[in-house]
Order: sequence, then structure tokens, then C-alpha cells
Amino acid sequence: MNGLSAIPDWFALRWEHARPRSRLVIGALVVALIGLVGLTPKSFFGVPLAWPYVGLIAAVGWGRSGLGFGPMVFLLLFGFAQDASQAPWGSHGLANLLTYGFSAMVTQMADTERTPLLSFALPVVTLFFGIALVWLTASISSGHLVRITPMLTAYFATLVVHMLISPLFDLRARRAGGGVSV
Amino acid sequence: MPRSSGKGYRQRPLRRYGFFIAIAGLLALLLLQTSPRLSEGVEPIRTAASDQLFHVTRPSLIDRISGASAKERRILELEARVRELAQYKALALTMAERLEVYEEILNMQGEPGGAEVTARIMAETDGPFAEALLANAGATNGVQEGYYAENDRGLVGRVVQVGNRSSRILKVTDFNSRVPVMGESSGLRAIMFGGRDGMGRLIDLPEQGQFLPNERILTSGEGGMFPRGVVVGHVRGETDKEVRVDLSMLSGQLSYVRLKPTITITAPEEAPIETDLAELSEEDGS
Repeated sequence: MNGLSAIPDWFALRWEHARPRSRLVIGALVVALIGLVGLTPKSFFGVPLAWPYVGLIAAVGWGRSGLGFGPMVFLLLFGFAQDASQAPWGSHGLANLLTYGFSAMVTQMADTERTPLLSFALPVVTLFFGIALVWLTASISSGHLVRITPMLTAYFATLVVHMLISPLFDLRARRAGGGVSV
Repeated sequence: MPRSSGKGYRQRPLRRYGFFIAIAGLLALLLLQTSPRLSEGVEPIRTAASDQLFHVTRPSLIDRISGASAKERRILELEARVRELAQYKALALTMAERLEVYEEILNMQGEPGGAEVTARIMAETDGPFAEALLANAGATNGVQEGYYAENDRGLVGRVVQVGNRSSRILKVTDFNSRVPVMGESSGLRAIMFGGRDGMGRLIDLPEQGQFLPNERILTSGEGGMFPRGVVVGHVRGETDKEVRVDLSMLSGQLSYVRLKPTITITAPEEAPIETDLAELSEEDGS
């Protein structure tokens, strides 16, 4: 039993000491995996499932660590992969990048470490910002206001998944003294 | 306290430029797509990607795990098969109608019918001595010795023993059964008996000609034990001495069989018509 209970601790320790680049690659793999599953038709006992915008989760998570070229490239690639549906090329990439920039800006402006409420509220706001961008882009490109309900269900699905996997998109490595470096 | 003057944000102008360049590039890409000519150029890429990623018949992960995709695929296959068979059914009905008309024109005498009985198989003996079935229909149901049995796929055997409420059917897979058969396409005649491997064996093969591969084997009706044209199986393989037959009845269900009479056509000399000789001589004289 001791051995089994030590496994999560071992992973947590490894993750804390992982370099930002390794974290970025692991996060990208997670996005790719969830995104690939999302490409297949999904239903649960006949009820169609809302799939999260996992690219936005990555944008929000990576954005908290400030701007970087690596996350930007990945977000662009994810965006183009998402555009393979009927979206105009670049629309999802634009939403991902703007959400990334917005998350970076808001994190810089707000002191999330001292106010725990903000650390909870910021992803809610930034993800809503991202979903709103997708909705706006879709509405502009199609020439009419697209339905809000599917976007809202996707937003809530994204929020739930964000709560579960957001630590995987934290690129800030812990220093020996307890500080955080990017 | 707000950190609007954060170090990292300020110390990375190159990354910020890169960010804004990327945004500008994406906006330009979006604007370019408003041109119909450019959209036409991009569309084949999207179509190819969609074909690969959003194939409607591709099962979901949940379906794959639950096994629903295999069932769905099987249903689709069966639906396709039903559609195909529906075409054959329509064709068969049309041909049957035409055949009926032709037979009427030719005044052809078809196979005489008789009382048929559907019986349930109560027991099966696949012992070393005889391969027989025991059906729950006997003399009280009108079954007589010599009736032949068939299931939904083809010939099963022949009634060799009849009780009041039961009858014993000797299967065509029995070594002692002898069924006069013919090839549907080649028209060649032979005698079939049951082999040890559950397949039929053709003996008394004609010296001229060969059975065609995969040809359907039907009863020839010779000898009067079986009517002509009952499906027996199809040719599986041929050696220099005998031909093996894959029996159709094995692919069908053997819980119920249809017992049908074989109407024997008697020879003219066995049932002569008595004609008055005086009448004949009168007719000759006139």
C-alpha cells in the first residue's frame, strides 16, 4: 500500500523539478491527446457530449507564466488543427493567441499569489474571453450571430477540464528556495 | 497589489513583438480568406483534412471501448446485405412470374405437390453407425416413409422410419445415404453419400466432363427418391476419384425441418389405360 500511495508523490516531485520546456511538451501532448479524442464523434448513451476547447486551457495556463515563443507556436498549431473543421483558417489560432496574451497580461496585472479568489476567478474570466472570441470570430465569418448555447456548454466543459488539468500547464519551475522562475 | 510593472513583462519586448506579429498575421490570413479566389485555393486542403479527421463513419473512442462500434459496423454490413438481397428477391419474383408464363405456354407439367409437415427435431444421433434425426411428426400427421426433409438452406435427408407421432430421418451426411444429384451449371449427374468429415462425396462420376468449381449441386430426381432441383450444396473440391460437396443444410438451422412427400411418377406399363380393342378397330376401319 505504501508503494502505491507513494506514486502520486513521486510524480508531483518529478513535476515540480521538471524544466519549463519539458512541461511545455507534456502540456502540448495532453492538448493533442484530448484534441484528437475530440475529433471523433462523441455521445454518451445517445446524448452528444460537449467537448472542451483544450487549446484555450493551454493558452490560459501557459499565459500565466508570461509570453514565450514555444507556447505561441504550439497554440498556433493547435489553432490550425481546430480550423480543419469548417472554421476559417486562423480563427482558432487567433482566439488561442489572444487568450494567451490576455492571460499573460491579467496575470502580470493582478497579484494572484496574495489573493486566492483571483487565482480562481482569472481562469473563469480568461476562458470566457477565449470562448467569446471564438463565438465572435464564428459570427463574423458566417455573417450572422451563431447560437450561444453550444458555446456555453463548451465553456462549462472547458472550465471543468481546466480545473482538472490546469497544473499541467504551469510552466513556472520551483526554485530551491521556494521561489518561482519562468 | 497589482503588478502592472512586472519585470518579466517588461523585459521581453522581442516576445511581445512576436506575439503581435503573430496576431497581425492571423488577422491578415482571416482577411485574405474573404477573397473568393483565395478561398477556392484553400478549400481542397480543408476537404482533405476533414476527410481524415471528421469521417462520419469513424467510431468514437467510447463506442470503441464499449464495443458499440463493432455492432454498428455489423448492422451496417447487414443492412447493405439486406438491400442487396432485396434486389435479388425482386429479380427472383420477376423471373418466377416469367417462368410460370413460359411453363404455361409450353404446357409443361411441373413437380407435383403434396401434403407438407413442419416438424421439430427432438433428438439427433451422430453416432458411428447412423446419422439420423428424430422429428416430432409421424403417421398421424400424414408423414410417410420416403418423405424427404429440408431446412431453410437445403436438403437434410429422407424419412426412413415412421411412428405414430415421430419419424426418423436419415441425414445426407450418413455414409449409407445415397442421393442422386446433378450440377446446376454443368448438368452432370452423380450419386452423393456422406463423408466422414461432414461433407458430401460424389461417386459414379461421368467419364466425360467435370463438375465446375463452386457449382451448386441439386437433386437430379432420378430414381424418384427425391424431387428434382432441391439444393444440396456446392462443389468444394475435386480429386481424381471423387468430388467433395459442402452441404448447404449445415449452414442453416437444424431445429426444424420441413417434411415433404416425393411424388413418384409411375411407369406407363405399371398403370396402363385399358382401351377397348373393338373401338380401336372401328376407328381404323373408318
